[in-house]
Amino acid sequence: MIEVKNLVRTFKSGDRNIKPVNDVSFELEQGTLASIVGKSGSGKSTLLSLLGALDKPTSGDVVVNGVSLASMPDGKLTKYRRRDIGFVFQQFALIPNLSAVDNVMLPMEFAGVRKAARAERARQLLEQVQLDPDKHVRRINRLSGGEQQRVAIARALANEPKLILADEPTGNLDEQTGEHIIELLSTLSRDHNTTILVVTHDRALANKTDRRFRLQQGRLTEEPARNRATAAVTG
Amino acid sequence: MSVLARSVGNAFRNKVRTAAVVAVLAVAIGLALAMLVANQAVTGKVAELNASVGTVLTVNPAGGQGFEGGGEPLTSAQAATAAAVPNVSSVVGTKALRLRNAAEIAAGAASGRTGQGGPGGQSATSVTTSLKAAVDAGTLGNRNQAASGTSGTGTTGSTTAAAPAFSLPITATGIGAEVDSTGKGLQLTQGTGLGNYTAASTGALLGTTLAEKNGLNVGSKFTIQDQTFTVKGLFDAGTAFGNNALYVTLPTAQTLAALPGELSTMIVTVNSMENVDAAKAALQAALGSGKADVTQGQRNLQTAVSSLDSVKNISFIAFVAALGTAGLIILLIMVMLVRERRREIGVLKAIGAPNRTIGLQFVLEALVLVALGSVVGAAVASFASGGIASALISSSSSTTATGQRGGTGGFPGGGFPGGQGGPLGGASQLLTSVTASASPGVIAAGIAAVFGVAIIGALVPALLTARIRPIEVLRGE
Repeated sequence: MIEVKNLVRTFKSGDRNIKPVNDVSFELEQGTLASIVGKSGSGKSTLLSLLGALDKPTSGDVVVNGVSLASMPDGKLTKYRRRDIGFVFQQFALIPNLSAVDNVMLPMEFAGVRKAARAERARQLLEQVQLDPDKHVRRINRLSGGEQQRVAIARALANEPKLILADEPTGNLDEQTGEHIIELLSTLSRDHNTTILVVTHDRALANKTDRRFRLQQGRLTEEPARNRATAAVTG
Repeated sequence: MSVLARSVGNAFRNKVRTAAVVAVLAVAIGLALAMLVANQAVTGKVAELNASVGTVLTVNPAGGQGFEGGGEPLTSAQAATAAAVPNVSSVVGTKALRLRNAAEIAAGAASGRTGQGGPGGQSATSVTTSLKAAVDAGTLGNRNQAASGTSGTGTTGSTTAAAPAFSLPITATGIGAEVDSTGKGLQLTQGTGLGNYTAASTGALLGTTLAEKNGLNVGSKFTIQDQTFTVKGLFDAGTAFGNNALYVTLPTAQTLAALPGELSTMIVTVNSMENVDAAKAALQAALGSGKADVTQGQRNLQTAVSSLDSVKNISFIAFVAALGTAGLIILLIMVMLVRERRREIGVLKAIGAPNRTIGLQFVLEALVLVALGSVVGAAVASFASGGIASALISSSSSTTATGQRGGTGGFPGGGFPGGQGGPLGGASQLLTSVTASASPGVIAAGIAAVFGVAIIGALVPALLTARIRPIEVLRGE
């Protein structure tokens, strides 16, 4: 379970203080597929980076399974990112000179998984995201955008994280490929009991998630849910 | 894929750039290794000089040297006295003989010319041999003979018949250890030594040109005073004069001269450079200034050694500079790579890579580049080090050699074998005899130093990676 408590992130811009995330609080049950929509510059990516421990909040806290991120030193935050978080980025953020399977193996290598075991799991994950087996050993820059995003999702799943944070996962993809990616995320959330939080400006995509949040001028509101009752949302 | 494999892969990401970096590194590393090789060669030579000549004292009879002068000969008892002097680590006695070809003496006798013995009454130690001298008398030899031929025990016949051409004597030296008359180890090019140098034997060591002139090899036979000797080994003294000589054991030479217990010189080795002056004074006092002259080669070699020292210093500074350049190249290349791959570093951090893993990856990548540069650099050094060392030494020694030329004359028609010509010991020859060969040990030590500097150079950019925050990746998105 993820609890976000009164999260604030302030940046200085000249003499002004900007708050892309302003007193945001919400809770997500394990296995939820949720989305955050909002305009460009509304603070979606900033909120995602706070949840993923890529950035530190000005105030407030994120509690994952009872553990507060605010009090964690950098080393433990790295460990948290390695074990509990999977990232999917809009530009895929894969290592270009490595093969698909090598990219998927990376987080497992950092987690200390033995080589044979991580190779086997990487192969399984790539099959799960439906990447053709003959493309497993192909270099990333020789794969299409959709294929690269599948590899990125497989990499995010590598260490069986509790939470997957996806920043505009379909932003660079055509509509059909984007549909496939959303289907894939939905299936993963259901099959692996993984919480997935997708940041998007694509309403169609957001409508397919269990819970839908809107971020506007740093404040989060929850919109009517598709499948389940709305949780308490403030901010 | 391990960190190492990833580092190797990254090193070859941009092949053109990798080739350029390796080429630049190879030049710097090659220069560093060549300088190290030159430095080691010169250091070795300086140590050799200090060990063999710098700590060696030569004792001659007071008033005599070689076959020149007068006075009383040295004795084995004096050698024992010398050995008891504090700080003396060894005393090696020598007995010099002048060998003359038996057939030429017979021809000279037939023509009425006898007594081609050496000057200064030393012809008592002249003995006959089947060997022919490898050096022609030439102008100098004939002039010396004309000046001294009637002296001593030699007599000039009254006949007016044309005298046969004068030939130089061959210097045979009895030695108490496998060293030449300066205390330097003999450079045997073939065969073995004589074994026990303090016992009589029928073995002999011949200079290369003397052996060649007489068609002798290891195992060949020749005679001295009608006694058959076997060539046990050949040596190269480095000079034409020095190679027209032979060595036998000390007791053999004394027996051939029929002067048991008599020595021509003593080579006294002092235990360290610091004790040379004190030992020299003590030795002179123990032997008596009226009985023996003690001379020290070190003083005369000071210029040579200091010249080599300057080459050593120059090569060391150049080695350090080239090493520093290699480190700087690595530093700059890696800083550039870190800046270029900020986003990738951010991605790695975002997916949980510890700082040390990312830093290690960059250090290993730098070492891969250095390893490639070292391979090419070592090849460059193995070809260039000899030339570079020779250039350094020849430019440094030319002044020294010119300055010393006046003092290297040696003794007319005789003197010491090995071409040393006295206590100076051929400083200029020692200078130019430094050979810089790229030995695996020196190359390995140099490459280890290069890797050490490369690690330091790569650590700075590797530490920079720790300052990159993964949030920058998302912002970049």
